[in-house]
Amino acid sequence: IEMADRANGNIIQLEDGWNNEIKKRAIDKLEQTLDNGFDTAFEPKEYIRIYTTCYDMCTQRSPYNWSRDLYQRHGETIEQYLQNTVLPALNDKSGQGGTILLNELKHRWTNHQIMNKWLKKFFTYLDRYYVKHHSLPTLEQAGLRHFKDVVYENVKEQATGAIISLINEERDGEIIEKSLVKSIVELYENMGLGGASLESYTNDLEQPLLDATRAYYARKREDWIAKDSTPDYLIKVEKALAEEKARVTEYLNPASEPKIRRVVEDEILQKVQMNLLEKEGSGCRVLLANDKSEDLQRMFHLFSRLDNGLQPMASIVESFITSMGNACVEKRQAKLDGGEKEKNDDPEFVKSLIDLHEKYLGVIRETFSGHHLFQKALKNSFEVVVNQDVGQYSNAELMSTFCDRVLKSGGEKLNDSEVEESLDRIVQLFSFLTDKDLFADIYRNQLAKRLLNQRSSSDDAEKLMIAKLKVQCGTQFTSKMEGMLNDLAVGNDQKSEFDARMEQHDTKLSFSVQVLTTGFWPTYKTPEVSLPANMTKCLEIFTEWHDAKHQKRKLSWVHSLGNATVKSIFGKKSYDLQVTTLQAVVLNTFNDGKTFDFNELKKILNLNDITLKPLMHSLSCGKYKVITKTPANNKINSTDSFTANAKFSSNMRKIRIPMASLDPSHNKNRVEEDRSWAIEAAIVRIMKARKTLKHQELIAEVLSQLSFFRPQPRDIKKRIEALIDRDYLERSAENSDMYNYLA
Amino acid sequence: MQIDVAAAQKLFEDIADQEDPNVANMEGISTLCERLGIDPLEDIRVLVLLWKMGASKKPAEISKDEWMQGCNNLQVDSIDKFKALLPSLDTGFLDREEFKDFYKFCFQFNRQGTHKTLEKDLVIALLPMCLSGGRVPSDRLQSFCEFLETTKDESYSKITLDQWRSFLDFCYEVEDLATYDESSSAWPVLIDEYVEFMEKKAKCGKK
Repeated sequence: IEMADRANGNIIQLEDGWNNEIKKRAIDKLEQTLDNGFDTAFEPKEYIRIYTTCYDMCTQRSPYNWSRDLYQRHGETIEQYLQNTVLPALNDKSGQGGTILLNELKHRWTNHQIMNKWLKKFFTYLDRYYVKHHSLPTLEQAGLRHFKDVVYENVKEQATGAIISLINEERDGEIIEKSLVKSIVELYENMGLGGASLESYTNDLEQPLLDATRAYYARKREDWIAKDSTPDYLIKVEKALAEEKARVTEYLNPASEPKIRRVVEDEILQKVQMNLLEKEGSGCRVLLANDKSEDLQRMFHLFSRLDNGLQPMASIVESFITSMGNACVEKRQAKLDGGEKEKNDDPEFVKSLIDLHEKYLGVIRETFSGHHLFQKALKNSFEVVVNQDVGQYSNAELMSTFCDRVLKSGGEKLNDSEVEESLDRIVQLFSFLTDKDLFADIYRNQLAKRLLNQRSSSDDAEKLMIAKLKVQCGTQFTSKMEGMLNDLAVGNDQKSEFDARMEQHDTKLSFSVQVLTTGFWPTYKTPEVSLPANMTKCLEIFTEWHDAKHQKRKLSWVHSLGNATVKSIFGKKSYDLQVTTLQAVVLNTFNDGKTFDFNELKKILNLNDITLKPLMHSLSCGKYKVITKTPANNKINSTDSFTANAKFSSNMRKIRIPMASLDPSHNKNRVEEDRSWAIEAAIVRIMKARKTLKHQELIAEVLSQLSFFRPQPRDIKKRIEALIDRDYLERSAENSDMYNYLA
Repeated sequence: MQIDVAAAQKLFEDIADQEDPNVANMEGISTLCERLGIDPLEDIRVLVLLWKMGASKKPAEISKDEWMQGCNNLQVDSIDKFKALLPSLDTGFLDREEFKDFYKFCFQFNRQGTHKTLEKDLVIALLPMCLSGGRVPSDRLQSFCEFLETTKDESYSKITLDQWRSFLDFCYEVEDLATYDESSSAWPVLIDEYVEFMEKKAKCGKK
């Protein structure tokens, strides 16, 4: 059998190879240079010689294959070096203060890495075959293992203590040797089993550090919370969090970042959250009251780090806005208590609510990043405020009148974009209203007035408002309003056609008609006043023309709504009197100096007291007394007599004589009736679909289906009882809590 | 057993309405009561009898057909047999379901013509009569009648069948008013207001 080829042709014996070659040339030299602090360098020639010796000793045929021994001795070498040289050196430094120990440890760890590297290089051949073949730790792993067992385990507690002290010093503002700490941290990182695990770092350094961090910030918290205002405290929190984050980046393992952050957040934020929010003189409410947006923003960002950190803050915001809203209501109440007359118009109040809403919309957008919890808070608070009892006139009415001001000519003086903005904002306020159906009813009445009296400032603005309401509430809500506008548009289109027809007749009157579709418009009184012949003729012409166009429609004349211009001559001066149709009919009666008493007028005109009294009042007791009343006082009595005022005179040529409206502003009863009907319709709809349902579920379903008002449960029950009475539903015989639908 | 049809018929003819021989109204029923020796206004057994005979088609009357059917069901064809029946007309013999049906009949039978409701005053008089004998705790009955008497709510001037029936069910199901929860209750609003009335009474009592 051939011997393995060798430089000197001989078999290397174990002790010989070990002592004379490996130990002398490699290990001793290595140890020496490490101890002396010189740069360790093996020249290529030296290195190759050592490597080759190793190689040979590991490839010699059995029984001269020294792989096992070499592997063992590699380990022993390292172990002994650590045990005899390194550990004592460290123990020596241990009582001398943290930095000194750490520096020594750093030095020794660096050395060990060098030693490990070279030994690995020398014994590489073991790694390739022996280690793999026997599933042993690699040389590098073994080396680390020894460092861990001999050095690290004995020193780690002190090292950790030293590091924590340094960190706390840095927290207190001292400057520390960051690179030193970083190096030691790397040591910990490398001490994990298998090299890739952070177990040692986590258990031996990170956990104690977290405990120490907790203790540190607990102390700080107690200190700060006693002395600082909330804004000042929060600034400190912000600073501390930033510092801790930077610290991790600079010399700790990234895995620690979230853990340290949570500990700090817990200690200095979570544990004093309510304390900070409610601190007297500087808590959340005070900040809101003083518009401290920067402080609030900081508070928002900090609390959003906590689990459910924002809800308490949002609750305070909600309660604050509600109290601000209530203050507006109280202000209005104070005005009324102070003797101001209660009207359905209070633009100051409505505007104050709009401004409040706008303000906090902005605050939520900018200070609270539009966060949904705060949006909900604003919504909740306005739903309370906007539905408060504000006196004789409901919020719905005050809002509708506000719209009226914006939309009527001679109301608010606004340009187009201001109009749009106003309407936008009032619709936002409207969205919080519970009694939306009441608003709709009043709005329609006011819309009708504007349209019929040509008081609407802009047709586009009217359409715009209706469109906005439609977006909020759906088509059904605005269909009547749209119908009203449509009637007017159709009327306009057909005007010229009818005008042409009028010209064919010679009535000496200029006459136009507005056709209203019943159901879209409010219901009006239709007094069947006796018209003069020339007016009657006009009506006939129109009726003929209209009926030819629309056979299926029936017209009824609403004389209480019409307007007229009456050319009148008093003495030598002539005037144009702008009056209602009814007033015009009355004036016509007094031509040629006739005199009538009240009862005669009733007969001639075919009007009742309720209509005739305000009519006569407007002509004889108002600013422009075109009719003389005898006796001359301010009240119309059935014994009064009237005649044209021959002595009437005025500087103006065109005079408008106003008259009180004969129709109420809206019918509260009708809204109530509509509600009863809507509730019943909802109940029937639901029960028809579900066939059988528990009481509470039925109530809940009904409430969810009614979007324009919110009935009390008792009212819903009353409707249920009414439907039971009419055999739409029955109570279940088995369960008194359930209802069955009766088909 | 076959009854004497002619005899039963004759009994009916004695009480039938002069204008309509197919119907016996309250006048005729009163006559019958006299013959039986019971008070038509105070004795609940009248109603029980009419109920058992099935006089349910129209209020305040019994038709000839109903009479004949009823006589057959009850096996009576003479005044004596009717008298013998009287003890069995005690409502105490009725179980819960039967009593509910009888109780409903009391309401239906006492209506006026085509009206669907009963006047409150009639209800206040009728309830104690129908519910005597411990069906309903007497204090409950009393306080409820007191409530009806004192309430100023116009809508309760007439009582509906639903309200009438619910009162009995309410007495069965809700023994302790303290457990009453309006927010989840399906009982008619009348009952809610009754409980409210009782709560106010209790508070005043404490003062």
